[in-house]
Amino acid sequence: MRPDDRKYLPSHEWAKLDGDTILVGITDFAVEELSSGNEGDLVYCDLPEPGRQLEAQETFGEIESVKAVSDLNTPVAGEVVEINSDIEEHLEILSQDPWGKGWLVRIKPTNKSLDHLLDAEAYEAHLAKSH
Amino acid sequence: MGLDEVLLEGQGEAPALRLYTWRPATLSLGYFQRLGDVPAVGQSQAVVRRITGGGAIHHAAELTFSIAADLEHPLYRGPVAESYERVHAAIALALTDFGIEAQLRGPAALSSDREGSGMCFHHSTALDLCWGGAKGVGSAQRRRGARVLHHGSIKLGADPFEPGVAVVGGTADAAGVGASLLRALARTHGIDFEARPPSAAEERRALELGQRSSDPAFLRGRRG
Repeated sequence: MRPDDRKYLPSHEWAKLDGDTILVGITDFAVEELSSGNEGDLVYCDLPEPGRQLEAQETFGEIESVKAVSDLNTPVAGEVVEINSDIEEHLEILSQDPWGKGWLVRIKPTNKSLDHLLDAEAYEAHLAKSH
Repeated sequence: MGLDEVLLEGQGEAPALRLYTWRPATLSLGYFQRLGDVPAVGQSQAVVRRITGGGAIHHAAELTFSIAADLEHPLYRGPVAESYERVHAAIALALTDFGIEAQLRGPAALSSDREGSGMCFHHSTALDLCWGGAKGVGSAQRRRGARVLHHGSIKLGADPFEPGVAVVGGTADAAGVGASLLRALARTHGIDFEARPPSAAEERRALELGQRSSDPAFLRGRRG
């Protein structure tokens, strides 16, 4: 079971409340799909500038693996207040710790509710159904 | 390039296959490639940037193909690597019509691998299709929402920008290889495509999106 201290988008991003902000990352499933278990297959991640305003589910960045470029979508609306700049130089972090050190952006949300997102159980059911 | 992106936007539609060639010969850069990492930029008649990743491709003596479908389609469902294997199985079958036994590269490096050119065909991975010890098909995917675009190039003849790569050769032309690919996709994955030209709306949208591919700011790239 994936962590139940956060919520999920069907497109494999997670959102976790952290004080007044929300951390956003991608799930172990997304990393595995892109890299097939080879952390060296992730080659580039493009993250937004802090200060950017995002609408819910808007594309905020892109990640490139050896064979595919995929969009990164925000689970919540708000302002990007911080990005994890370590990721751009060390993409292996995403494979090693997608739930912790692998966070991508910190958002000051317009609404802190995560009720519109999937909980861990529903996300697991989504994976089972569609993959 | 704009039409490829239109196909990517076509959510919920049946799989689409686009087969095309280029005039003039054009160098396409991978989405995140730095201009300075591709020496051929200064030598090519025309340069664009793709929405797919990977290395640069010189579109001259080759067939370009795009296959767009929903993420849930059996062709693309599951890990990226498996979707590559399915697409490449169809291309390998198509190439048998021309006496070529293409196979996935596997763990060994290829004679076409070269440092410093930034060209897709000079960099190989285990999933690339090769014959004669060299890479002959370049592929890259764009995944957006519930859609996948698999974009690729099959080399028909030698290209001075990409020395050492595998080519179909002989009398094969883009139309013949394209017809074989069409049949192979039906045989390997049960996909039957219905030929049709783009609609007026698709053409308008393609023009709008296509302007970006050669826009100076977009060409400079995300990484400078």
